[in-house]
Amino acid sequence: MGSPSTTISNGTVSTGWSAHPDALTAGETAGQMAVGRMKGHRPRCAVVLASSWFDQAKLLTGLRRALPDVALVGGSTAGEILPEGPTSHHCVVLAIGDEALAVSTGLGEAADREPRLAGHEAALQALRGFEGRARSGFLLFGDGLLTGYTEVVRGIHEVLGTHSLVTGALTADDLRFAQTYQYHNDDAVSRSVVGLLIGGSCAMGVGLEHGFAPISRMLRATSARGNLLRELDGAPAAHVYEEYLGRDLMETARQAGLTRQLIAYPLGIQLESSEAFLLRCVRRIEPDGSLLCTGEIPAGSTVRLMIGNKELALEAASRAAEQALRPLSKVSFVLVFDSVSRRTLLGFDAAQDIHRIRKIVGLATPLVGCYTYGEHAPLQGAVPHGQSVVQTGAVLVLAVGSP
Amino acid sequence: MSKPSLRTVLLLSASVIVVAILTAELDWTIRFPAILALLGSMSYMTLALDSRRRQTTELEQLRKTCEQLDQQAKMIVRSDLELHRTQEALDRKVASLLALHELSQGLRISLHPEEVYGKLTPSLVTSFGFSKGLAGVYQSTGIVSWKALIGVTEAQAQQIQGHLQTSGWLDRLLARPSPVTVTVAQRHEASAARFLELLESSCLVVAGIKPSAGPSGCLLLAREDLGTSAEQGDEELVGILAAQLAIAIEGCALYEEAWRARQGLERSIQERTQELEEANRQLTRLNKAKSDFVSAVSHELRTPLAAIKGYASLLRSGQFGSVQPAQTERLAKVEKHSDTLTELINNLLDIARIESGRVTMESRPLATKELLASLTDLFKLQADAKRLTLSMDADGVDHLLGDPTHLPRVLINLLSNALKYTPAGGTITVRLSRRDGHIVTSVTDTGAGIDAVELPKLFQEFYRAAHPINEQVRGTGLGLALVKRIVEAHHGKIWVESTLGQGTTFTFTLPEEPARTSPS
Repeated sequence: MGSPSTTISNGTVSTGWSAHPDALTAGETAGQMAVGRMKGHRPRCAVVLASSWFDQAKLLTGLRRALPDVALVGGSTAGEILPEGPTSHHCVVLAIGDEALAVSTGLGEAADREPRLAGHEAALQALRGFEGRARSGFLLFGDGLLTGYTEVVRGIHEVLGTHSLVTGALTADDLRFAQTYQYHNDDAVSRSVVGLLIGGSCAMGVGLEHGFAPISRMLRATSARGNLLRELDGAPAAHVYEEYLGRDLMETARQAGLTRQLIAYPLGIQLESSEAFLLRCVRRIEPDGSLLCTGEIPAGSTVRLMIGNKELALEAASRAAEQALRPLSKVSFVLVFDSVSRRTLLGFDAAQDIHRIRKIVGLATPLVGCYTYGEHAPLQGAVPHGQSVVQTGAVLVLAVGSP
Repeated sequence: MSKPSLRTVLLLSASVIVVAILTAELDWTIRFPAILALLGSMSYMTLALDSRRRQTTELEQLRKTCEQLDQQAKMIVRSDLELHRTQEALDRKVASLLALHELSQGLRISLHPEEVYGKLTPSLVTSFGFSKGLAGVYQSTGIVSWKALIGVTEAQAQQIQGHLQTSGWLDRLLARPSPVTVTVAQRHEASAARFLELLESSCLVVAGIKPSAGPSGCLLLAREDLGTSAEQGDEELVGILAAQLAIAIEGCALYEEAWRARQGLERSIQERTQELEEANRQLTRLNKAKSDFVSAVSHELRTPLAAIKGYASLLRSGQFGSVQPAQTERLAKVEKHSDTLTELINNLLDIARIESGRVTMESRPLATKELLASLTDLFKLQADAKRLTLSMDADGVDHLLGDPTHLPRVLINLLSNALKYTPAGGTITVRLSRRDGHIVTSVTDTGAGIDAVELPKLFQEFYRAAHPINEQVRGTGLGLALVKRIVEAHHGKIWVESTLGQGTTFTFTLPEEPARTSPS
């Protein structure tokens, strides 16, 4: 339950959560808590972030009991974020009842086979229901196990326009890497993308930062296609990890199919336009030494092995929060999508991460979030918004409020 | 032979050019500037060569520095990795301990073994650093009834069940004192490999749940993807978890036992209560029948008794002829015994009426002053005759609430007894006081007192205490029984205290305010 300093509702936006082990009860309780705190306002849409351990169908049934006829989007996580800090095995609901807010949802399925088409479909569905109102941005939840996610984002930009703000998170499954879920109204689906088109008289601000720094020498991606990085400087890509982390660890990682340890050491793609790095985590080591990454790696790009520390990670959270607030005069609510690798890095200090963001966005601002397998937003929260980039070790702060 | 340096080549080339210039038939105006230009070029080239050499050296140094930095970076990454793993392990241990603490709190309120197994939640499993968990009750010959499945499907659980049955692993496991770890490194062992395969995991810790009372069971925790498959301390932590679950199941069994015993006791009490209630109902019925019988008989006796007394009186008056003194004496005895019998019948009738609820006690204020005065009038002569001091103390109590017919009978009866049993020269005191919403009235005498053994029987019908006076003076043995019925019908209480050789006090209470329900 919320502590005295925790704001859980500002009337038109409220939050609710439950850790009840029964999925049906957890969904219903979290939904009821959010609705109960709306001070008489009727929720118009809800963002749901929940543990993958729940029986997802039952969870949605419970949620719909409390939030019927409400536009519902969200996804499964690798941990949830409450105003007090990180938690696990929770169902978290952000209910929005602001009349000034225009919302419409869209679902794109089979994103593993046709990612760009799935992006088109999600954006088109949302656009059809939006009826020409002013658009602020598109909140997107995609399956964190997809390999063609950059294509999904491209597809959405093709429908909504390249300067539209497309931001969101890649759904997770508590580091089991088996199946993640995306929530769209009554359904929990997989290998899909779900979007919430937000507009009306509100504005959206985003901040995307990671806090990792390069540690290795510069390496050239001499062979790469999509998310598969085959060679770095002409050698099998996995050699970079063998070289820096040690052969023993990599051998164990190969045997087990994946090593969670690599999450703390992502690869960074040096951007030509700036000194920033796009992070890519390694999801799997292929037998030939190729690395299957969580995002696209362009062939010929400069790649560095990255390392993080707690202070850099915490500073990144502050910067992301500051960036998110820049285009807003007043903030209504905040969603935080934090990378699971940052949680691994921060350990018990992960609560500090959330505290820093709350200090900047205001302790009274309703805030929830989750730990993800990826985050995407335009870099530096630039306005007009540029192409959304997919990061996999960053913290994304999404603030919605008055322009 | 060593290769000549670039500087030597340059010097040789310059010397050849100078010799050529000097030997050539050229004007000095041309020769001199040519030599100067040559020397200048040579100096520049020498300087450039030096600079390039220095750059090459510096570049080489830079390359070496980069390599050193890269080596240092590798060292940093490995140290960081080591720190990271240590911190993660530490965080996991802390999380495990916190989860154990929370679990122990939660288990305190578990009342059923099913509930205990239900405490194996995803949160607990992940806090221990595992991603899958199974807990079940061991039924017989390797059959396990799964009570908690975390990250494991029903189909997987059934397959594991089958494997446990065929391999006989569970029986062996329960015979062991501590948990067992199975890792990918043991894949050569068919049984272990099959377990990991079924669970799609790289590491499994299995522990027996062995309570001293209640059903035994097993706990399986697995993780599928960690590089470090067997974490240090896993077995100890899982062992503690299994022990906690076992203790909780023991607690449940003990609770169950205590609960069953209590249920049995409650059932027995209920049965006895029902029996007692039935006996009480029967007694009430019998008592009522007795009262009705006594009432009917008494009523039937009273009429002929009145006739007997009337005729005896008429005979004694001589209306039917002269009566001999001996006859007069006998007729007087007939009258006296008729009176005694009438009193007895009247008392019996009153008791029966009160018990059967046919008499309703009124609740009227009776002025204490008048009541005590009338009592004094009534008993003064008798008291004076025995030289008894009769003392009345109302202590500010101005009235009593009661029935104007029946309540005075209580005091008359008690005073009459006191007068009877108090030897000459003694004192009888009637005292009234207020206490806790009641008027307390006591009648104290300085008589011989009553044996403690007899005190509880005093208010029984027809009971007469062993006293010399009782042997001389006849009584009905109904006086105090009637007094008790009248007091209780007023919602009061009566009791007696006595000390042999010192005297006796009868005390009764009456409510100060009228009772809400009318006396039955």
